[in-house]
Amino acid sequence: MSVVNYGTREITCKIVYYGPGRSGKTTNLQHIYSQLPEERKGKMVSLATETDRTLFFDFLPLDLGTISGFATRFQLYTVPGQVYYAATRKLVLQGVDGVVFVADSQSRQLAENIESLQDLHANLADEGLDPRTIPLAMQYNKRDLPASEISPIDELDETLNFRGVPYFAANAINGGGVFETLRSIASMVLARLSAPAAKES
Amino acid sequence: MAAKKSEEEDSGEFADFMADISQEIAQRVESLDAAPKAQPEPKKATPLPRDAGLILEWENLPDRMIEEMR
Repeated sequence: MSVVNYGTREITCKIVYYGPGRSGKTTNLQHIYSQLPEERKGKMVSLATETDRTLFFDFLPLDLGTISGFATRFQLYTVPGQVYYAATRKLVLQGVDGVVFVADSQSRQLAENIESLQDLHANLADEGLDPRTIPLAMQYNKRDLPASEISPIDELDETLNFRGVPYFAANAINGGGVFETLRSIASMVLARLSAPAAKES
Repeated sequence: MAAKKSEEEDSGEFADFMADISQEIAQRVESLDAAPKAQPEPKKATPLPRDAGLILEWENLPDRMIEEMR
């Protein structure tokens, strides 16, 4: 996906929230949606099963209006975290500009986090995207759970954040860390506008 | 008045996000615009657009996306 189109004066950024099932990806988008000015709320597309798990994907289009002469649009997606939705994850990743990896801080979920991260790398590579350079932010979610149930941030970061990208502690269900994460990934994606490779449109 | 204040508080996080992103985009656009001209322009702050935060309703979007994925 082109990030900037000079012909139509548009900036479009596709950001995908990735991570294992039940890590809080949909909760991130729901909090962002909840913070939008009431009179300007549109539709958040969310396809879920009867057990509230994301079946296909969530989609939240954010039209930020015209900024510096460019119509600016962010498209926020989540992927279904369950392993058997691999094909859907690959489809949602097509044309991605930036990824937020939402990790579940619970100690017993560490293996799932690692598996999902490996899945992300494999799918990015399949899409011809370099997992080592694509804008990425790590979010360690569910920090509101008792300390006895969650891994320390340092431990999670050591295990999952081999690139040393920005990371954020979050409790998305209460909104903590959600916008900090979004601001970080948006900034990283926008920073690529000045890179020669990102000028293609 | 109370309703207005409540609305402002509700959208506070988003407003902060918009302010940051607007500034970021203004800087990036200026740097891109300046590159071909080879003459730097002074940076100027971009005010928050009046329609900030507008979400467009894209009709039939789920149907369209699902159809494309088939």
